[in-house]
Amino acid sequence: MKRNAKKQMSFSNRIFHIFNSIFWIIIMLIILYPLYLVCIASVSDPDAIVRGQVIWHPVDFSLIGYQAVFQYKELWSSYGNSIFYTFASVVISILVTLSAAYALSRPKFVGKGIINMFFVFTMFFNGGLIPTFLVMKNLGLYNTRAIIILMGCVSVWNLMVARTYIQTNIPGELYEAAMLDGATHFQYFSRVVLPLSKTIIAVLAVYYGVAKWNDYFNGLVYLRDRSLLPLQTVLREILATLQVDKSGDYMMSMADSAASMNEAMRIANVSKYCIIVVATGPVVILYAVMQKYFEKGVMIGSLKG
Amino acid sequence: MRLSGKPKTIKKKKSLAAAMRDNWQLYILVLPAVIYFLVFNYLPLYGIQIAFKDYKAVEGIAGSAWVGLKHFKNFFNAYYFKRLLSNTLLLNVYYLLWSFPVPLILAIFLNQIRGKKRKRFIQTSIYVPYFISTVVLAGMLYIFLSPTSGILNFARTAMGLKAIDFMSEAAAFRPIYIISGIWQAAGYGTILYIATLTGIDPSLYEAAEIDGASIWQKIRFIDIPSLIPTAMMVFILDCGKMLASDTNKALVMQTPGNIPTSDIIGVYVYNVGLGSGQFSYTAAIGLFVNIINFILIISVNQVSKRMTDVGLF
Repeated sequence: MKRNAKKQMSFSNRIFHIFNSIFWIIIMLIILYPLYLVCIASVSDPDAIVRGQVIWHPVDFSLIGYQAVFQYKELWSSYGNSIFYTFASVVISILVTLSAAYALSRPKFVGKGIINMFFVFTMFFNGGLIPTFLVMKNLGLYNTRAIIILMGCVSVWNLMVARTYIQTNIPGELYEAAMLDGATHFQYFSRVVLPLSKTIIAVLAVYYGVAKWNDYFNGLVYLRDRSLLPLQTVLREILATLQVDKSGDYMMSMADSAASMNEAMRIANVSKYCIIVVATGPVVILYAVMQKYFEKGVMIGSLKG
Repeated sequence: MRLSGKPKTIKKKKSLAAAMRDNWQLYILVLPAVIYFLVFNYLPLYGIQIAFKDYKAVEGIAGSAWVGLKHFKNFFNAYYFKRLLSNTLLLNVYYLLWSFPVPLILAIFLNQIRGKKRKRFIQTSIYVPYFISTVVLAGMLYIFLSPTSGILNFARTAMGLKAIDFMSEAAAFRPIYIISGIWQAAGYGTILYIATLTGIDPSLYEAAEIDGASIWQKIRFIDIPSLIPTAMMVFILDCGKMLASDTNKALVMQTPGNIPTSDIIGVYVYNVGLGSGQFSYTAAIGLFVNIINFILIISVNQVSKRMTDVGLF
C-alpha cells in the first residue's frame, strides 16, 4: 500500500519534471531568441532579411553590414567617448562610494545619522529634470564631458550596499589591531579595507559601469556638441526612429560606403543589427566575466532590508 | 557601581568632542560624497522656485518674477491634464500587475530544476536582458515590429493577416512597453526570490517527503508561503513608483502614432520643457509629480513596515 503510494508520487513528480523542462525550454527561447536573431541577422544579406528569410540561421552570409558600420565615423567617436565616460565615471564612483561607505560603517563616527539622512533623502525627493537642468547650466556644466561623467556617479543604494558589505565582511578585530598599531583612518582604509573589498569593488564596477554605458538621456539633455555624445545617444537617433531623416548622419555614412542611395538604404537594413551587436557586446562580456558579482550585489543589498 | 556612574557621563561628553577630533579623517572620507549630493541633488532644489516664477534666461533663476501658482493652475486646467495623468497611472498599474508575478513563477520553477549546471546556465541566461540598454531594447522593438521588415509581421502575413505598424499604434504601446519590460527585468527580479528559496530549511522538504508530498505539494505548502513576505515587500515598494515610470524608455518608444497612450508626464516634461523651452511650466509639473511620489513612497514604506516589518528607511 505504502509502496504503491510512493510509486504514484514519483510518477506525478516525473510529470512535473517533464512539464518543468518544457516550461524552461519555452522561457529560454523567449529570452534568448531575440538576441540570437540580432546576431544571425547581422551577418546575413540585407535582402534576405527584408524578405523575412532570416529566422533560424544566417542567410547568404555577408559582412557588408559590419563593413558599413566600421566606416561610420560618428559611431566610433561616440564609442570612444562612452569608453572614456564609463571608465572615468566608474573610477570616481568607486572611490567616492567606498570612502563614504567606510566612514558610515564606523560605529563611533559622530554625525553619522545626520549624514545618512542627508544621503537617503535624495532617494525620495529631487529637483526634477528642468530645475536640475537650469542649475547645471548655471554652474557652467552644460555641454561638458564633466557632467556626463559626474551625473549619477554616486548612488545612495550602492553606497548602502557598500556600507553593509564593509560592516559584515571586514572583521572588527582588524580595526582594533590596526588602531593599536597607531594606524590612522586613511591608512586603515587604504591598506586594510580596500584590499579586502575586492568583491564589493567588482559589484560596484558592474552596476555603475553598466548604468553609465547604457545611459542615453544625459547625453540627450546636457550635450550640444555632437563630438561629445556618448554611444547610446547616437544609437537612439539610428535605432529608435522610424523617420529616416532623423538618422541623417547614419544614412549619409551608409551612403559613403555604398554606390547609390538605394544601396545605402539596403545596407542600412542590416547594419542596424550590426550596431546592436557592437554596442551591446562589451556589456554582455563584462557581465559574463563578472557574473557572480552581479548576483552578490542584490544579495548584499537585500541583507540590509 | 554608583561611584563609577558620574565620571562615566563626564567621560562620555568629553569623548564626543574627542571622538570627533580623533576621527577627523572620517569627515574627509565622507566629504566627496557629501559634495556630490550637494551639487547634483540639493542645489537643483534651489531651482524648484522657478515653478512659482516666470523664468526668463536673462533674469536668471533668482531674478525672474514670482507668479504664484499660475503654472500649477494652468496644468490642472489643461485639456491634456487628465490624459497625461491617466496615461501615466495606467501604464504603471498595468505594468505592476503584469510584471509582478513573473519573477515569482520563474523562481519557483527554477528552484525545481535538477542538476547544478543546468540551473546555473538558466540563471546566467535569464539575467542577460537586464544588461541591454533602453535604446537597444527600443531599437530591437522597432526592428522586430517593423511593418515592412519585422519578424512579427512576417509571421502575420504568413498566416494571411495584415501587417500592422505596431510602433505607430496607440493601442499597442502599453502591451509593447509591458511585455518588453517583463522580458528585460523578470530574470533580474528572480534573484531575491531564489535567495529566499535557497534559505528554506532543508529539513522542511525532508519531512514533507517522508509524508509523501509531491513536488506540487511542496511548492504549494512550503515554497509559496516562504515567498509571501518577500513578495509582499517587493509589491508594496513597487506601489510607491506609481508616477515614477520609466520616462527614458517611453521617450524612445514614442512615435507620432502612439502619442495618445505614450504621452506620460515624464515624456511631456521633456518634450515641452527642453523641446519648447517652457521651463517654469514644466518645472511646476515636475514638482507636482515629485510631491506625489514623495507622499506615495513615505506612505508605502509605512505600510510595508507595519505589514512585513521591513522598510526602506
